[in-house]
Amino acid sequence: MVLFLIGLGLGDVRDVSVRALDVIRRAYKVYLESYTSILMQGTAAMVELYGRPVIEADRTFVEQGCEQMLTEAKEHEVCLLIVGDVFCATTHADIFVRAKQLGITVKTIHNAGIMTGVGCTGLELYRFGYTVTVPFFTDSWKPDSFYDRIAQNMRANMHTLVLLDIKVKEQSIENLMRGRQVFEPPRYMTVNRCLEQLLEVEETRKEGVLSADMMAVGVARVGTDTQHIAAGPLASLVDLDFGPPLHCVIIPSKSLSDMERAMLGLFPPRSYEPQPEVAAPAQAPAAPSQ
Amino acid sequence: MAPHWQNSSLRKNPKRWTGIGANPKTDRVHRRQSFRIFQPPRQRQRSEPQDCELLLPPFEERRKSFPAKMVNFTFGQIRAFMDRKENIRNMSVIAHVDHGKSTLSDSLVCRAGIIGEHKAGEARYTDTRSDEQERCITIKSTGVSMYYDLTVGGEAQGYLVNLIDSPGHVDFSSEVTAAIRVTDGAVVVVDCAEGVCVQTETVLRQALSERVRPVLMLNKVDRALLELQLDPEEAYQSFARTIESVNVLITTYRDELLGDVQIEPSKGTACFGSGLHQWGFTIPKFAAIYATKFGMDVARLSEMLWGDHFFNPATKRWQNVPEADDGKKLKRGFAQFIMEPITQIFDCVMQNKRDKLEKIIASLGINLTAEDRALEGRPLLKKVMNRFIPAADSLLEMIVLQLPSPVVAQKYRVANLYTGPLDDECATAIRNCDPNGPLMLYVSKMVPSDKGRFFAFGRVFSGTVRTGQKVRIQGPNYVFGKKDDLFIKNIQRTVLMMGRTTEPVEDIPCGNTAGLVGVDQYISKSGTITTSDNAYNIATMKFSVSPVVRVAVEPKNMADLPKLVEGLKRLSKSDPCVQCTTSANGEHIVAGAGELHLEICLKDLRDDFTGIELKISDPVVSYSESVTAESSEVCLCKSPNKHNRIFMTAAPFKDGLAEEIEAGHIAPEQEAKARARDLAEKFEWDVSDARKIWCFGPDGRGPNLLVDMTKAVAYLNEVKDSFVGAFGWATREGALCDEQMRAIRFNVMDVVLHADAVHRGAGQIMPPVRRCLYAAQLTARPVLMEPIFLCDITTPQEAMGGIYACLNKRRGQVISEEQRPGTPLLQVKAYLPVMESFGFTADLRSHTSGQAFPQCVLDHWAVMSGDVFEEGTKPNQVVRDIRKRKALKEAIPTGEDFIERL
Repeated sequence: MVLFLIGLGLGDVRDVSVRALDVIRRAYKVYLESYTSILMQGTAAMVELYGRPVIEADRTFVEQGCEQMLTEAKEHEVCLLIVGDVFCATTHADIFVRAKQLGITVKTIHNAGIMTGVGCTGLELYRFGYTVTVPFFTDSWKPDSFYDRIAQNMRANMHTLVLLDIKVKEQSIENLMRGRQVFEPPRYMTVNRCLEQLLEVEETRKEGVLSADMMAVGVARVGTDTQHIAAGPLASLVDLDFGPPLHCVIIPSKSLSDMERAMLGLFPPRSYEPQPEVAAPAQAPAAPSQ
Repeated sequence: MAPHWQNSSLRKNPKRWTGIGANPKTDRVHRRQSFRIFQPPRQRQRSEPQDCELLLPPFEERRKSFPAKMVNFTFGQIRAFMDRKENIRNMSVIAHVDHGKSTLSDSLVCRAGIIGEHKAGEARYTDTRSDEQERCITIKSTGVSMYYDLTVGGEAQGYLVNLIDSPGHVDFSSEVTAAIRVTDGAVVVVDCAEGVCVQTETVLRQALSERVRPVLMLNKVDRALLELQLDPEEAYQSFARTIESVNVLITTYRDELLGDVQIEPSKGTACFGSGLHQWGFTIPKFAAIYATKFGMDVARLSEMLWGDHFFNPATKRWQNVPEADDGKKLKRGFAQFIMEPITQIFDCVMQNKRDKLEKIIASLGINLTAEDRALEGRPLLKKVMNRFIPAADSLLEMIVLQLPSPVVAQKYRVANLYTGPLDDECATAIRNCDPNGPLMLYVSKMVPSDKGRFFAFGRVFSGTVRTGQKVRIQGPNYVFGKKDDLFIKNIQRTVLMMGRTTEPVEDIPCGNTAGLVGVDQYISKSGTITTSDNAYNIATMKFSVSPVVRVAVEPKNMADLPKLVEGLKRLSKSDPCVQCTTSANGEHIVAGAGELHLEICLKDLRDDFTGIELKISDPVVSYSESVTAESSEVCLCKSPNKHNRIFMTAAPFKDGLAEEIEAGHIAPEQEAKARARDLAEKFEWDVSDARKIWCFGPDGRGPNLLVDMTKAVAYLNEVKDSFVGAFGWATREGALCDEQMRAIRFNVMDVVLHADAVHRGAGQIMPPVRRCLYAAQLTARPVLMEPIFLCDITTPQEAMGGIYACLNKRRGQVISEEQRPGTPLLQVKAYLPVMESFGFTADLRSHTSGQAFPQCVLDHWAVMSGDVFEEGTKPNQVVRDIRKRKALKEAIPTGEDFIERL
């Protein structure tokens, strides 16, 4: 019948829209896409709020096993919940296409996502260029194609949103090849690690796109109460503590407008300090999506 | 049991030490019970049934009777001479099985005073294990350091000889490899009755490829005289033939840098004699005896005493033709002046012509005690010959004069040994054998100690290794600049390896062999130990045998499983070649080079390393998977997220390429252009394809290739690692039945990648690459290959019927049958599938009443005829069996199981 693709927003389980909540409460089944991004509060909080069981669809499910969900969607109303906004990841488009091919009606309910959430830094959203993702480097695997994208953006005088790799339910290469369902502990890249990797790539490429004294903005937990932003020379951010995940980084273009300057001025490079839990809301903060 | 170095009286006063093997309490005691799995223990075919060995008391009793005699040297002396690099000789004794290596080594050990004279030739001092003694076969290489005072060229000098006795049975070839690596010279022992045999060739080839200089010992001359009854001229012909065939081998495997190493008896690079009877001579040795009589210098006379030189007593001149001017037959110099006196002594003793013997003895100036004179027959012969021309003197002279010192040898060996740039500090230090340079030590094998630990045995190539020194331990997988397979630890103790025992020393400088204590946890089988942060590895040893015969082991009592796992780890350490692995379904697999090797390994595992009862499966053989055609289509596989697509095909190698890769002639470290040229010239590859070889596999150097045939694919270099990883995995475990792939070329035809790196990490790329490799393999008419032994049997004519009967039953195929010149023996060569070889030795023995004894060595891989997919064919059955054993899905997969469509 209908497959609903529902954005959950960035911060809190209660950021879900009223229309979406209606759909969720009456849907035949509720799936949660849990690998392009995550809600730090966990599924338990959702189940409590929706009063519905939520089936976690991990990477394998989304990439390989969507069949089950799509088959159900032929007969019933099925929801796929997506942290952040719908269509931010290519995977969602893939599901959309597959559903359409099967003749399923797909409806979308949008919400805030990281792509717009970064507006909180004051950098003009119009001026963002290619978005890039920085993967965790290993000893032998150090892909650096994002470097070219940043360079392109710089040349065009555009900001670059740098999303950071998350590894949830990741298998080690050995387990992967052996087909063992053994997963590594989840890892989330921090602003610090990302900046180190950026500088490492600059070290090897030496094309002068990045440097320790250029401006960068580190953003953590966009859209939550504990949101933390720090702007300053790249070197000054490397050692700052941005607190719990999720993080992202913005490399602003060389020339900034007066308003952008003024906004960034409000976020001096300093570490995140957890606020005392006095007026803490009922729910703990949630995390943004990619 | 307290180890020997904790014996305080010993440490305080080393001179009080009474001799090696003297204290049975400190020696390692083996269980005497022998453990067998496949076959009854070999009754060794002895040349002389009345051999005194058979009359000897059991090993333990004999060991007690090793005399508590003062050795001829102190360890202080040995240590002092370790610094005199010019006077060190590191040498190994190598030969075909049963040609008399250990017996010969005895004469050297005896000369050093470690064992008594009357024991020499029987004790086989270097056979340290009880099973070695019982079976009369050497299993492990054993090192002994010995010191000699020698008068060479009129000057008395001390020499330090580090001798390593090696096994001759083909199954233990890896031990020979380990021995050759740490030595600079090799005494090649050849039984003059049997001549050059298959294993003689193998070990000689290994020695030459390691740039180890060979000298020849023609052993068992007593046999030629007593059994074959050769007259002096016939003896010469027989010796000359053997030397000729050794020289043919040396020419075949010649190495430019090593230079001319042809065996020339007149130059003193061949020794003739009998290890059992402890006598031997070189031509210069006899020349020295006759020099004054002829009034010629030794070198000139040596020339005359070998080859076509005949002495004319009438003219008192040497001439090149065997006929004098008056038509009289002349005798050859060698026959007349060397063999004649020897045959006379033999004749006198064996015919008991006492008077004549006394005369000869007097004329040769041999002093015999009254006790000696009371002897008769062979014991007397041994005594007389040993007094006349002692084997040890001739051998030592040959070793000292003809084999290189480390200083000389390391100059040309460095290029073979060191994998790094040949002008860095380590290479320079190795080349100069510099004791003050950075430490470079290669551990070639691990020797079990009585404490359940291991000594790391190896050669110091440069620098000095010290007790307590902090070193870098670089395993074979260490890559320069990386941290894998690297440990930084302290050496607890450095020791001298002395056959059965060890002797602690403060430090050991370069040019010597050394034992290390306390590094065994960090070295699996071999490795490089260095003090330089910039050291590359010393090249890993190449073995001439591979572990193709495997069994699965499990404890009888499952509670002993942890003991078994621990024992397997130690077994794997103790033998350079054995492979202990755990299969996907949890079976513990032990793989060896042959039946005998496996039998010994399992015995060690049971008796020494676990002490538990084991259940052992029937032996199984490693197969390999290959293809016979180009893939019928370009195979496509997609990554799990569907954003990446891989297109590949497979094709078979041209004949010979897989062998070239295994021999290391075509290798990953080769310069890409040179390799491309080789491939283009020899195997008709397209040069531009050949330059784009991504990797070899499995293990980075196996006989399969991955070739990048793509055109302008973005980000391809960022996923290369994932390809290489998946390729290694897929080639190690092929699609048919998880056996290793062989002789397959995989072409990457096209790759479509997602722009963003997170979407093409290893997790996304490796699985489809692996599936795609499988699809390509399965669409290219896959076949199964089985290993084939080359079986070398030396036998009398009358046993031929039994040999043929045995071979026919086992799909064997005789390829040659040759009469050995000068002997009644036939040499038969046959191909025998490894699968059919279990119990072959025993079977052959019973069919030929013990006259035929095979040496089997892995020769090649052969395609099993028949379609693997067609039910009822042999390969189909084998694949099914393997799949069942490995608990894989029953149905053999086809390309369709892996290929995806767009």
